[in-house]
This record gives sequence, structure tokens and C-alpha cells, in this order.
Amino acid sequence: MNNRASEVTPSSKTPLLWIILGAAGMFLAHYLVFIYAPMESTMRAAQRIFYFHLPSAWLCYIGFIMCAGWSLRYLMTQKSEHDALALASAEVGLTFGVIVLTTGPLWARAAWGVWWKWEPRLTTMAILFLIFTCYWVIRSFGGDNSGTRRFGAVLAVLGAPNIFFVHIAVTRWRGDHPNNVGLEPEMRVVLYSCLLIFIIIFSLLVRLRYRVHMDERTAIALSRRLSRIGG
Amino acid sequence: MSPFWRCFMAILEKDVKIELRSKETVATVVLFGVVLTFLFAFGFIGDPQTNLAVIPGILWAALLLSGALSIGRTFAREQENSAFTALALSPTPRSAILAAKVIVNIVMILGVMLVITPLIAVLMHVDLSGHVVGLSSLITLSAIGFALVGTPLSIMAVGARFPEVLLPMVVFPLVTPVMICGVRGSAALLGTSVDLNYMAWAQMILAFDIMIGLGAFFLFDWMVSE
Repeated sequence: MNNRASEVTPSSKTPLLWIILGAAGMFLAHYLVFIYAPMESTMRAAQRIFYFHLPSAWLCYIGFIMCAGWSLRYLMTQKSEHDALALASAEVGLTFGVIVLTTGPLWARAAWGVWWKWEPRLTTMAILFLIFTCYWVIRSFGGDNSGTRRFGAVLAVLGAPNIFFVHIAVTRWRGDHPNNVGLEPEMRVVLYSCLLIFIIIFSLLVRLRYRVHMDERTAIALSRRLSRIGG
Repeated sequence: MSPFWRCFMAILEKDVKIELRSKETVATVVLFGVVLTFLFAFGFIGDPQTNLAVIPGILWAALLLSGALSIGRTFAREQENSAFTALALSPTPRSAILAAKVIVNIVMILGVMLVITPLIAVLMHVDLSGHVVGLSSLITLSAIGFALVGTPLSIMAVGARFPEVLLPMVVFPLVTPVMICGVRGSAALLGTSVDLNYMAWAQMILAFDIMIGLGAFFLFDWMVSE
């Protein structure tokens, strides 16, 4: 059998349970954030953004770290599955990054009076987002060949250390981004519930995107095989 | 002499010799830097305090843009007659190829900055003579960081579609931490920023250089695996 066709065996089962869990979870998250969570005394309603903002930020980082990890694995093994997983992780990480960079300015406007501040953590998050947007652009428009895959993989592996700069940004540069916020027990319940729900959605999206990429590759490999037989 | 050093010196000597004879990269990159400097000077010239405040941004923008031009040429020459394929197929340690190319790029960027920096000082009426050591160390560390990121990626961009767009698009976001630290560090040196001592920013660039340098040398074998 052709190598490219045989390298892919995506699961044909639809992850129905995960889809139901994710959808129900989102309803629950909205109930928890808007009804169950107590009103914060200083920020009032704007504080509720935090319950979506923080889990999205964590999952955005996890998506980028996963992308870098799978990219490194791809460079070592040259296996198509590893590259597809890296690409799927980056795409989902970027999706959560869009949520972070949308909810962040909304919160900043209420807290600081401006949409954007050149504050270290914001700046570094924006840079990280840019790097992985470049990764996605290269992967989307550079053609699906081994050169583009390796180029993207190297970019992801070199781009990931920027997360280290995100971490030291707050401690070293002393910006005014909130850090280690004290939370009421109810708020803590809401935050961790939202995190769990977002993790379910994140896993589901990565899995679905991975399957799409692998199916695309199988289809291309099979069509090449068919044209060879036909020719 | 170990095989690494022999190969490193041979590649370095070859590149320097070609450049000294043709002068094509150095001439175009320096001229580009000078043109940029004039454009920035036209755009930002103001009162002495404003000039002092914008100098760090101009310097690092010039480093970034001239550096991008320089690294874009690194492996372009090796494309002729498939020279790079021959080099990669030879028993030369790949780290020696990368190290030699990185050194060439660092020298090229520093050469451009050596012309640009005094020119900016003259055009913007700013006296930088009291900050030569501090500014040189920040520029050198930034040039090292830029070359370490840009050089390995330039080999991959050569065979790609739209390499002239692809390379800056990939390299610029990756070197942003170096640029931020360079600009903030030189602002601290010139007294227009009070957040941190310039040495602290220089240490940050050094940390970035070490981290990205290790990553680049670690990955280079896989980058040129085909």
C-alpha cells in the first residue's frame, strides 16, 4: 500500500459524548458566570469577563506549547500525525487567543480606561499570538509540502520560548496586570468549572481539527494513487 | 585543529573572501541602512528632548530592517549550482556551517550599525559619545540575537514560495523581545526611561541569545535534513 495513504488511520467515530458535554458545559458556564457568581465590589459586572478570559489564556498557552511539542516530535520523526497534531493545536490555541485578546481589552477599558496598555504581559501575549498567527499563515498558504511543514515546526519550536518571557514579564518588569488575585470561594468554583468546560471544548476542537487534517492528507494520497493507476 | 574548527574557518574564509571581492551584500545593506536613517531623520527630527527619545527606536528599527536584508542573502548565494546541497552532503559538521553563517551575519549587521549610529547622532543633533560602551554592548547583543534567529530560518526560506515576504514575517515577531529590550535598554542609557538599569535589559537580551542560540543549533540538523 502507498506510504502516504497507509500513514493515516483516523478514527471514524464521532466524539458525540464530548460534543454533548461541551455544549451542555457552555450553557452551565453561562449560568455560573452570569447568575451564580457573586458581583465583585470594585469592577462590578466587568469582572465576569475574567471567568472566560483566564481559562482561555491558559488554554491558549497550552495550545501553543502543544504545537511546539508536537512540532519538535515531527522534526525528530517526520511523521505526518505529529505535524497534524501540531497544526491542530496551533489552530485551537489561536482560537482561544482571539478570545483572550477580545475579552482582555473589554476588561482593560473598564479597569484602566483604555482598550490597550503597553503592559509587559499584554505585549508578550500579543507577540506570542503574532508568532503563531505567522505559523498558521505559513501552514495555510505555503502549500502542504515537507519544506513548509519543517519551516512551521522550527518556527513553533523557536517561538515557544517566548512563553518564558511572558512568565518573567510580570515578576521582572512589574507591570500592572493582575496577578494572584484573591477570590471568594464561589468565584473559585465558577473559575475552575469554566476551566474544566473549556478544557473539554479545547480537547474536542483539537481532536476534530486533527481528524480533518488527517482526512485531507488521506484524500490527497488516495487521489494521487488513483491518478497514477489511471495514468 | 578539530574538524569543526577547520570547516568553520573554511566556510567563514570563503564567505568573507567572496564578500570582499564582490562587495554586493555589504554595499546594498549599508546603502539601505543609510537611506533608512535619512528617512527616519526626516520623519522624527524635533526638539532636542524628542530627538533623544526617538533615537533608540530609530536605531533598533534600522538594525531590524538592515538585518533582514542581510540574512535574506545568507544562503541565496549558495543556491547557485546547488552549492548548499553539496555543502550539506559533505561531511562538514552542520553546526560549523551554521556558526560560520551566523558570524558573517553578525559582522554584517555590526558593520551597518557602525555606519548608521554616528550618522543618526549627527542628523538628530544628539551626542552619543558618552554612551559608546553601553550602546555598543546592547547593539552587539541584539545583532547576535537577530543573527541566531534569522540565519537558520533563512536557509528554510530559500526554497519556499515568496521567501522575501516569508523571512521577515517569521523573523520579526521572533526577535521582538530583543528589540523591546534593546530599545528600553538604550532609552535607560540615554536617560529617557527610568524603569530599569540598562544592564538589566542587556542581561535579558543575553538570556534570549543563549536560549535561542541553543535552540537554533539543536534544530539545525533537522532543518537541513532534506
